[in-house]
Amino acid sequence: MANHDQTPHLPRRKRSARLSLAMMGASAFGLTACGQPEQTTDVSFDSPRSYQSVDECVAADVYTRSACEEAYEASIKEVPRFSTLEACEAEHGEGACVAPNEEQAQAATGSSSGSWFMPAMMGYMVGNMMSRSSGGATSRGLYQEPVYRNRQNQGNWNTATNQASQRINQRQQSMRTSAMQNRQAATQRRGFGSRSSARGGWGS
Amino acid sequence: MLRIDVAERPNWKTLAHELGFHFHTIEGEPYWKESAYYQFTLDQIERDIEAPTEELHEMCMELVDRVCHSNALMQRLALPEFMWDSIHDSWVSGQPHLYGRMDFAYSGQGHAKLLELNYDTPTSLYEAGFFQWVWLEQAIQQGIIPRHADQYNSIQERLINAMAHIDDRLDGAALYFSCIKNNQEERATVHYLQDVAVQAGLKAPFIYMEDIGCRADSDYFVDLDNQPIKALFKLYPWEELADDGFGDKIPILGTHWFEPPWKAILSNKGILPLLWEHFKDHPNLLPAYFEERNPAPLTPGWVRKPFFSREGSNIELLTPDGQHEAVDGPYTDSPWIHQAYQPMPRFGQHHALIGSWVVGDRACGIGVREDVGRITKDSSCFVPHAIV
Repeated sequence: MANHDQTPHLPRRKRSARLSLAMMGASAFGLTACGQPEQTTDVSFDSPRSYQSVDECVAADVYTRSACEEAYEASIKEVPRFSTLEACEAEHGEGACVAPNEEQAQAATGSSSGSWFMPAMMGYMVGNMMSRSSGGATSRGLYQEPVYRNRQNQGNWNTATNQASQRINQRQQSMRTSAMQNRQAATQRRGFGSRSSARGGWGS
Repeated sequence: MLRIDVAERPNWKTLAHELGFHFHTIEGEPYWKESAYYQFTLDQIERDIEAPTEELHEMCMELVDRVCHSNALMQRLALPEFMWDSIHDSWVSGQPHLYGRMDFAYSGQGHAKLLELNYDTPTSLYEAGFFQWVWLEQAIQQGIIPRHADQYNSIQERLINAMAHIDDRLDGAALYFSCIKNNQEERATVHYLQDVAVQAGLKAPFIYMEDIGCRADSDYFVDLDNQPIKALFKLYPWEELADDGFGDKIPILGTHWFEPPWKAILSNKGILPLLWEHFKDHPNLLPAYFEERNPAPLTPGWVRKPFFSREGSNIELLTPDGQHEAVDGPYTDSPWIHQAYQPMPRFGQHHALIGSWVVGDRACGIGVREDVGRITKDSSCFVPHAIV
């Protein structure tokens, strides 16, 4: 695991800010931590807004400059830091990491010398995230945290497994040929799940 | 960790129906229960559940790698020999998995103990990932729980990320979804996963397992229009797939499976004694052993489980003071393991079990099931949780 720092002072939110359903249920459904409640529900929450930079945040004329700056600083502090570019890319993917600029290094560590690396930020958020902070401005850096860790075995599995099945195909070609002669081009079905009535279900 | 009685949302059944949660009541018995919630502290979640889940997941991945490179271990887990190449190849080529759930005995104090892994066909996903989240937001809004309450739950968000990852790598960006006929709950879980896949940009057609076809002139399994199924998500366990009529076609055909064949290693309770062998005395593991050929009768303080079993079936236990409890079931045709008995925490009459979700390689949420008995079954209720 990489050595990224967690900032202890920020309230960490353990749940997603927004969920929706696209096709399940009676109608399209979206519950958001947002100003506009959607359809089937009367729930509404404050919307966090995202900006690329402090200047963009100020220009949007929603928050004061100090709120924009404070949120930016807080989100920079939240970004995982890595001592090497390789360690960062191992977690976040090739080409996804940068060295902080002077301003970012200053905001994150209080020192303008940034001998560390971080995932490139795609923006940051400002907003009243529920009632988590009395002052109103909390923040969250927007960067893509990968769902999968890099492992030794990572390759192009789609191509690779096709090759593997081609190898197996060759090995079993004779078996298939004889099967083919018997079946012509008919489709067989009920080859899966036909014994399942005995057990009823598979979820666990 | 506390169990707190609260008011139900007045409209929740209507909402459940609107949101496709038709199995909130199963055969007349409540399944979703919101007359109480389980309350955790942030420390309990992060230190005792989230961190151990990620650690155990990494241990499992290490074991999968070992098993994939050892015929002896493949044999020990009773994995059918004709599947060994598929299992190995799906692992070494890095075919991603989607998700898994670890079941923990945890009382709020001490170490959460891993009871088992549900890494192939985990359910209660919609309840945990979606409906529970809606409950929290509305319960806050309606003043049922404190305004600063939170929930350990980014399950759906992570699933969308994982599906997007798969989407980037699939031919034609279509992933078929499948389960067996005549099971409403499983169909609903698969429907939910299709929903998530669509949100991630995938095409997500559905086909019942029984309808999947096989043609001599196709390099893939085929759908009802005889079109190739290049990638297929199945809510159907690997040991059954392998045993079914088309089982021997799986290694021959090019269809990508989700979960991938290497998940057969983790859907097998034989993984529990292997974990104990390789990571002995790990604080989150319970002692576990493979049953010998002519086993002595179960001794107090031990639980006997079959390699392959779902929903608590065929589990037998003897508490340290000699109380016997057993659930019948159909899973009598596989080897067995013995695992040290771990008392389930009790809240009033209820035994609570924590299902800790892993999506991709990230721990991302929990669902709590409770039951009056010591063995969690498919009739156990799902109760929401909050961090306060």
